[in-house]
Amino acid sequence: MNKLGHFRLRLKKQKNAKLQDPVSIDQGISGQEESVNLTSSLSEKLTVLRQTLGGSSDFIIREFVHPGENAAYAAICYIDGLVDQTQLNDLIIKIGQEDINGIMVKDPFRNVKEDLPARDTKLALTKSEVIQAILGGDSVVLIDGIKEAFTVSLPGGMRRAIEEPSSQTVIRGPKEGFTEDISTNISLLRRRIRSADLRFEDRFIGSLTQTRVSVAYIQGIANPDVVKEVFARLGAIQTDSILESGYIEEFIQDVSFTPFPTVMNTERPDSVAGNLLEGLVAVLVDGTPFVLLLPVTFFKFFLSSEDYYQRYDISSFLRLIRLFSFISALLLPSIYIAVTTFQQEMIPTTLLISLAAQREGTPLPALLEALIMELTFEVIREAGVRMPRVVGPAISIVGALVLGQAAVQAGLVSAAMVIIVSFTAISSFVIPTFSMSAAARLVRFALMLLAGSFGLFGILAGIIPLFIHLVSLSSFGVPYFLPVAPLSMSNLKDVFIRVPWPFMKTRPAYISMQNKMRQPSAGKEGRKEK
Amino acid sequence: MSSGKSRNFELIAGLILFEVGSTTLFQMGVEAKQDAWIAMLIGAGLGFLLLLIYLGIYRRDSERDLFELCRHYLGKWIGTIFALIFALYFAYESSRNLRDLGELGAFALLNRTPLPIIMLITLLVLANSARYGIHMVFLVCVVLLPIVIVSYFLLVIMIAGEGMIKFEYMLPVLENGIKPVWDAAVPEIVSFPFAQTLLFLVFFPLVKKAKHLRASVLITYIVVAVALIVINQINLLVLGPTIVEMTVFPLLQVVQLIELAEVFERMDVLFVLVLFIGLGTKILLFYIGAAIGFSQITATGYKKWVIPVGLMVYSASFISPNFSHHLWVGIDLVLNRYYPYIQMAMPALLLMVMMIRRNKRPQE
Repeated sequence: MNKLGHFRLRLKKQKNAKLQDPVSIDQGISGQEESVNLTSSLSEKLTVLRQTLGGSSDFIIREFVHPGENAAYAAICYIDGLVDQTQLNDLIIKIGQEDINGIMVKDPFRNVKEDLPARDTKLALTKSEVIQAILGGDSVVLIDGIKEAFTVSLPGGMRRAIEEPSSQTVIRGPKEGFTEDISTNISLLRRRIRSADLRFEDRFIGSLTQTRVSVAYIQGIANPDVVKEVFARLGAIQTDSILESGYIEEFIQDVSFTPFPTVMNTERPDSVAGNLLEGLVAVLVDGTPFVLLLPVTFFKFFLSSEDYYQRYDISSFLRLIRLFSFISALLLPSIYIAVTTFQQEMIPTTLLISLAAQREGTPLPALLEALIMELTFEVIREAGVRMPRVVGPAISIVGALVLGQAAVQAGLVSAAMVIIVSFTAISSFVIPTFSMSAAARLVRFALMLLAGSFGLFGILAGIIPLFIHLVSLSSFGVPYFLPVAPLSMSNLKDVFIRVPWPFMKTRPAYISMQNKMRQPSAGKEGRKEK
Repeated sequence: MSSGKSRNFELIAGLILFEVGSTTLFQMGVEAKQDAWIAMLIGAGLGFLLLLIYLGIYRRDSERDLFELCRHYLGKWIGTIFALIFALYFAYESSRNLRDLGELGAFALLNRTPLPIIMLITLLVLANSARYGIHMVFLVCVVLLPIVIVSYFLLVIMIAGEGMIKFEYMLPVLENGIKPVWDAAVPEIVSFPFAQTLLFLVFFPLVKKAKHLRASVLITYIVVAVALIVINQINLLVLGPTIVEMTVFPLLQVVQLIELAEVFERMDVLFVLVLFIGLGTKILLFYIGAAIGFSQITATGYKKWVIPVGLMVYSASFISPNFSHHLWVGIDLVLNRYYPYIQMAMPALLLMVMMIRRNKRPQE
């Protein structure tokens, strides 16, 4: 049967480049016309839609003949690039099929529903519903003489495939990372936790972007107060745009003015799954692979998800190494400045002599030398991130040879200083979470200035305010410096060291207030009986 | 969490740092020569009795702090005078310790930096801490406590490991009878450091679930007192009674003698930082105690008093023109003449009044 004869296909692309006046756009978005029902005339409906969308060039209307009662005109509207073209063509062919038994008269959308049972289909009555569906990536079927519109979800368009996370890598453990697509990310989590208690609740934030933000938590493990607080803070966001989870992070964090992050981000699904099981709440944002985790404590930023996959002894060792690296990234340059400028008596004599010989020719005091070198390194580091990949080798040559070796040979900086700066830089890369290593980088400069002015006394005068600041912070009601202050012995099993899994019987205190047992105590008795 | 009450352990951490405080800085009971440990034992024992008085006050009324107690039980006028004396005493103690810290800093770390600058920076750091309130300060004490304990522990091990302790300095025990030992202990060692726990009457009511507070305070006191006696005696056993009497900061002298693998030779510099932590805690707790006191007396907010008390402490720390005068005032003047009244007579009076009024009340 040649179906082509039954309908005329018309592809209409609106090339109207003129922008509508902003008022009408605002009305369309802010939903002031929410209650406006659609008219029955197809041409009127299409005019209204075209006007609302301002004749945008990616808004596409395909008209055809619907074989209903009087073979009425019909149209399908969508946004170019958001729908799957093959499926869309199939759909049009199905709708346009000859109405042999006259069933289409009773239910004009019957073919759509029957042919696409697995798809998300629904009736839309008002104009704003239709607009939202079109902008959300749905295709909308409109028929002349019928007031209801019918929306069909035919997701398509280009998406990045699941790849290995680029910012948080592991040796052992899953290699997949989140993508920019929120439904893919949700499925990655659902695949790991097949429990009815894993809940996702959506919010659409941003008056212009209408970004989908999904809050994930495990019912019965996550603290209900924290979940409630997350929704309250999300609800309080008044902004026109959310383009990345960083926006959300800054809107919902407890304290704005602190170098330390109180919300964690990760692009590893296994890390999110593990933290959900500890009772944390995850916030997924459409358009970014970085998922927010909260509430978090200071020491959480030193844990890598790999710690739980490797053997406990090596993980514990690595955690201590990371903490040591953080401390040296924070303090090493300032200690060097303090010791060489004020407390030379601390240096063993032989070392002191060689240091003095190195510094003999250098023109700058240690503080200035260190500041210049640290700033130089920050510049190289920033260049390494921003530069086009093709000029990569140039940066490393200039960085390593010119600024390192040549500067020492020219007598501008001492070799010891280059060593100190390099070790500090490498140390700052060890911290698994970027936001925490950024905090260390910022605080380091303040401590260097204090050390240059008052030596070790200055460092102490910098650390004490740092401690009291850290202790006073909290993340969604959870003390930030847990489990050290306030001391929580049971949480110490998974902070500086990690105990073997059979001994991790409870979830961390303070974070999950209910369902604290990870492993039923029966398991222990069973082992003993053997 | 910020507005909640402190936990038992947090107060204990504060108490330990407070007690260690500046005590290890000076040599206690030098007049008793080799029997300094007996003098300290006597001091600690009497201090324990005073602590029992303080805890007795707390047990009778665990809701009110020291200043509220004074005004509630001693009447408006006398109570206010008592409260004012206590608050001034705390502020003065704070300023004395600030001067100690400044002198120590100038002596050991920053020879060329003027004393007022060192003290100003210290005070800025501490005023900033005081701004956060006592709960946060106790939490920081929890963080700092392990550092201090590990440092002292390593220190004792290294001194013992190097074979620097000469036990013959202990002998002869009680060479001149008990009299000089007793004179060295009372009232100096009782007043400083042991009776300073009076300050904690301000903080006890801030503890949540204070069930085992009494027991844990007493145990902490005993353990810290023993540790202090050991460290004090180590100074004496390493340096000998003659040198120890002449040095200003004997513990630093001892640490300087440690040589480890020819790399760690001048650990006194690092150890000064540990001393700073103890001293700083002491200044800070007295500071906060005074600020709470003034805010109670004037019925104004605590935060309004942080800066005025800070200025008070800072200016009071310059009363003495030099360190020798400072030490003389500390030991001969205030310690012997005024502190016994503040630390012993006034709390004892308060306790007696509380007992009398409590016995009266049922009859009324």
